[in-house]
Formats: sequence, structure tokens, C-alpha cells
Amino acid sequence: MRLREWQAGLLAFLFLGLPLSGGEGEAVGSLRTLQGPVFLVRGGVERTLTRPERLFEGDVLRTGAGGSLGLLLKDDTSISLGPGSRLSLDHFRFAPAQGRLGLVVRLVHGTMAFVSGLVAKLSPESVRVETPVATVGVRGTTFLVKAEEQ
Amino acid sequence: MRGRVGESLVVLLAIILMAACAKPSTQVVLMPDANGRVGSLEVRNAQGRQHLDQARQSVQVVGKDQGPGLPEVLSEARIRVDFGSALAAQPKPPLHFLIQFETGSTTLTQGSKPVIGEILQAIRERLPLDVSVVGHTDTSGSDDLNNTLARQRAEAVAKLLVEAGADPTILEISSHGKAVPLIPTGDQVAEPRNRRVEVTVR
Repeated sequence: MRLREWQAGLLAFLFLGLPLSGGEGEAVGSLRTLQGPVFLVRGGVERTLTRPERLFEGDVLRTGAGGSLGLLLKDDTSISLGPGSRLSLDHFRFAPAQGRLGLVVRLVHGTMAFVSGLVAKLSPESVRVETPVATVGVRGTTFLVKAEEQ
Repeated sequence: MRGRVGESLVVLLAIILMAACAKPSTQVVLMPDANGRVGSLEVRNAQGRQHLDQARQSVQVVGKDQGPGLPEVLSEARIRVDFGSALAAQPKPPLHFLIQFETGSTTLTQGSKPVIGEILQAIRERLPLDVSVVGHTDTSGSDDLNNTLARQRAEAVAKLLVEAGADPTILEISSHGKAVPLIPTGDQVAEPRNRRVEVTVR
């Protein structure tokens, strides 16, 4: 008897800890602003976005000519992109009670404005913005900046 | 309500992949946060690193085979040229609402009851896809008991919000335990202000 797709997915999830499929699991945040051509690549499939929606780890956002977008992650990190940009939401963990914190995004090309949130405040060393030629380490609030300097 | 964004670091970052330039490059600009405070950043690659800690201070990295260049302070006008669109697309900062409780209970204090209505108003205005309802504890007592109470309080707030008309599918209930104090204290310190529920409307 062949397993149906959802049964195989459920087994993979239960025994291997794999996500059920791209874009499921817990959302990491949501789009809040979008203008002009904006695209979402999820599970290898690109589609045009016309209204705000929830975002998941692994999502790639792209803006075309004249396009822009703004998103908020669940730790209140704010990220916005100008035209001709491509951003990958590589990693996000926000479970302070369990000590699981992390944020890694990759700006492949384009322009971005980034306002750090609680993950940077609680665990600055776990926040990184990567580009093809450099890595930006983001230091959070005054309190955590002092802890870093010690 | 508390503006956490005000405490946050504002970083403006860009890559400019110029068609005329064979090598990929990255420019990073540190910006003051909403309060005017300036945080700090480190820009690094395998060849070196630079530290930024002044408003509108910028560093450029050209290619992987060179380290970051020397920092320079950019004019606001120049920043607008490259980053105006990204800045204009910034979402409104999240709205934070603070709810406090009678000691040891899931009953809202008299002063916190009107906050439920304020949250509903914010939800109607912003049409959020996710609203966090997060219980917090102080550092006194056992973690297990504190976490249980924090979660029960978050659930009590979510119930009040749903009764007042909020869509239950956008509410995300959790406990952050003692990890995110409002008033920083040492361990085993009773601090009523830290025993709270925070609701964030994005």
C-alpha cells in the first residue's frame, strides 16, 4: 500500500522532524506594506503578492522595478526593501523562555532598512545580516551593547 | 503601551550591485533609532572588519577579497538617494499594550481593564495578521509555577479579546517566562511590574 502524500509528510514530521511542506509550521512574521511588483518565492515557486500575508522561515522576497515592501517579524524586527531587491529569511527563532533565539537574513541584492527587535536585544550575537561579500553583526539595545563590550 | 522600537537599533543596509562594476559590493549605514539613540554594528568578512557607532556612518565592502573600507559619515541627502524607497516602505512600529493583574490571579487590575478596548481599536485600524499575547513573570518563586500563571494570564487576556470581537485566528498566545523583564532585576526578586501580559499589534 502506498502512502498518501499527507501520510508520508506526517510520518516525516513525526519521525524525522521535517517540516510538513514549505511554508507551513509557525509563521515568523507578516508583510505589512507592499507597493508595485512584489514576489514571494516559497518551496521553489514564485508568485506575485498583492496583499499582506504571513511569512515563514525560508521564504524569499523579491521586489521588481518600482516595487517595495515592509515586514515585521514576531520579535518586532522591522525590515523593508526598496526596488530591485531580493531578501532571504534564512533563520528565525524567537522562544525566549526556552533560550532559543536567532535571526539570519540574506540580502542578495537591493536596498534594505532594518530595525532590530527583541532577538537582537536578548541575544545580539545570534543576529546576522549577510550579503554576498560581507556579514553585518547587529548589536541591540544599550543594555546588551554593554554586555558585549565586557 | 511601550515603544520597544524606540529602544531598538536602526540599521540601514544596502548592497549596490552596479552593472558597471565587476565586483559585488556592499554598503552599510548606521542610522539613529526613533529616539535619536545610535546603536552599533560590525561589518566583517574573511579579510577584515569595521565597527560603526556614529549616526549616518557608512562602510563599503568591494568584493570578497578585500576587507571593509574606512568608515565615512554620509549626508542625509545622499542616504535619501539610495535608500529613500526602502525607508518609505518601513512598516509602522508595532503597538505594545501592557496588562497587569491582581497578585497571583488572572483578574485584570482595574487600571488594565480599559486596555482591552484600546487593543480592539488598534486591531481594527491595523488589520494585523498576527497579534502576540505574551505572559511574563518576575524572577521570584519557581519557574514552573510562574510560567503556568503567565500562560493562564495570557489565555485570560486572549479570551477577553475574543469576547470583545477579536478574530481568534490572529491571536498567538505564549509565555516568555522571566526572560524578558520590563524592569531588569537579579534572580529571585519579586517585582510586580514584571508580572504582566504584553499584547503586540503589528
